[in-house]
Amino acid sequence: MMPQILQSWALLLIVALGGLLSERGGILNIGLEGMITMGAFVAVAAAQAGAVVPVAALLGAIAAMLLALVFAQFSLRWQANPFIVGLAINVLAAGTVPLLSEIVFGTRGSVRIADGGIPVWTVVATAATVLVLVHAVVYATPLGLRLRIAGEEPEWLRAQGIGVTRYRLAGLVGSGLLAGLSGALLALRIGVYLPNISAGRGWIALVIVYLGYRTPAGLAVAALFFGIMEAVAVRAQSVLGVPPTVLLALPYVLTVVAFVSYAALRNRER
Amino acid sequence: MNRNVWRTLPVLLFVALTTWATGTSETATGSQYRIGVFVPGVVDGSPTYEMMVSGVQQAADEAGSTDVAIVEGGFNQATWEEGVMSMAASGEYDLIVTSNPSMPEITASVAEAVPEVRFLVLDGYLEGHDRIHTILFNQQEQAFLSGYFAGLVTSSSMERANAAGRVGLLAGQEYPIMNDVILPGFRLGLQSVVADGQVDFRVLGNWYDAGKAQEIASDMITQGSDVILTIAGGGNQGTIAAARERNAYVLWYDDSGYDQAPGIVVGSSFVRQDRAAYQATLAAIQGTLAFGDAEILGVSDGAVSFDTEHPAFVDNVPAGIVSEMKDLLDRMRSGELTLEMPVPGGR
Repeated sequence: MMPQILQSWALLLIVALGGLLSERGGILNIGLEGMITMGAFVAVAAAQAGAVVPVAALLGAIAAMLLALVFAQFSLRWQANPFIVGLAINVLAAGTVPLLSEIVFGTRGSVRIADGGIPVWTVVATAATVLVLVHAVVYATPLGLRLRIAGEEPEWLRAQGIGVTRYRLAGLVGSGLLAGLSGALLALRIGVYLPNISAGRGWIALVIVYLGYRTPAGLAVAALFFGIMEAVAVRAQSVLGVPPTVLLALPYVLTVVAFVSYAALRNRER
Repeated sequence: MNRNVWRTLPVLLFVALTTWATGTSETATGSQYRIGVFVPGVVDGSPTYEMMVSGVQQAADEAGSTDVAIVEGGFNQATWEEGVMSMAASGEYDLIVTSNPSMPEITASVAEAVPEVRFLVLDGYLEGHDRIHTILFNQQEQAFLSGYFAGLVTSSSMERANAAGRVGLLAGQEYPIMNDVILPGFRLGLQSVVADGQVDFRVLGNWYDAGKAQEIASDMITQGSDVILTIAGGGNQGTIAAARERNAYVLWYDDSGYDQAPGIVVGSSFVRQDRAAYQATLAAIQGTLAFGDAEILGVSDGAVSFDTEHPAFVDNVPAGIVSEMKDLLDRMRSGELTLEMPVPGGR
């Protein structure tokens, strides 16, 4: 059960940390879902072309970052509504990735990697590394400090003569890189790219950003809790006499209940 | 002016590209008989729909003077009725062919609104509608074949088999045919070989999340399943990944799937949806298809079978098991062993 929990935790945590970077900069990245898809496809395409796993994962991350730059162009430079732009990014990825797949591989269906998948521990180690790095960047660097101020007190930054946009851009770029990395690791782990491979992980990640109180450590706990609930629900399908479809909703319900209860308890203590 | 153009142009390109990439492919050119194939999903990567399209196309080519247009409805089931309605209301089709257990209800609803069009629905059942012909495949027999083979494998000395007598079935979602036909049929087949054999039945919750399917299949293997029948769409790739990593076997469903992972996918039942689509479409073009009828086709009709000829099957499965599967198929083809497919809706 532990490998399943850690796999779920790692993949969700990486993309959630990406969501955190843009959110702390003041832009909620609704386009994570599309970026995961793009990262997954490009990583598999690169692996098919002979790239080793780290290079394939990096290329997947960079491809998703390019989508993040499109997001930034619309939302930061042209002041478009970030929610609309994020949805458009998801639609764009849903449209262009099958098109690319058709052009490159002659199919809009699944694309397999000959060598199969990477070990789960590679994914977990990457997530742990990303967690430490994001924590360090957000709390121990001037970049992280200004990123947070760009999200919470942008006027103060402007009053100091410091541009807010560049920090929001940095947050979005980091967000795209990590969403793409998560998608790449997911596809490389199962050894295949499939339509709809993101399967809602981008949306769950956004929920985890808030359930985790917008801190890297909080996100790690929230993602772990969700992973445990998911693994329990999977195991319960075989041991409880409850219809599996009912149990599938359990992780979502219990995660929300647990964190709402925790928030209520914390507020009461204050 | 320039500024507005530069702001608008990327948006237009954005929308145009997306619309083009996700849109439908239509090839109708206009002649005597016009067929629209509505694919509830996408064709690429779905052998079932590939078979349907190829069967319809073959019939059209053979009949001549027939146009075929393929319309992909995408994965959002909520939009399928609208998609079929648009096709029917366009007045461009004499016959709409589709395939999915949910389509009889949808086509019946569309047929009420658009009285000129006729429908051929594969993998569904609806009797008595004078403009709808349905063909249902005997999945009781198909699941029995898979269960019987799973029993042979799990009780064998094959490298990845264990002595637990436990096999798995991973479904994309629960639906009446899955719960009332496929699962009992699979269990019956297993217990025909291993009397106290158990089926670990799990549900993915969708038809595409291969990552979660891998997690579920891994847990099934940890719990003792050495053979997993996977009926989870794109999620099947996750089952293969788990079986490869944790030394188990996978059984494929609906089409011959050995090439997905030779040596890991060791058994494959299938339906000849291409043949059914070809025969029924040709009959529709020739005006001999009995609309209002609902056919149920099984092993004895040649519509359901188990692929015992693929080299990956012959190479990776002991000769004794190959022989037993061929004997079973012979008994079912001759009518010596038949399993009745329960009619959806309980009639």
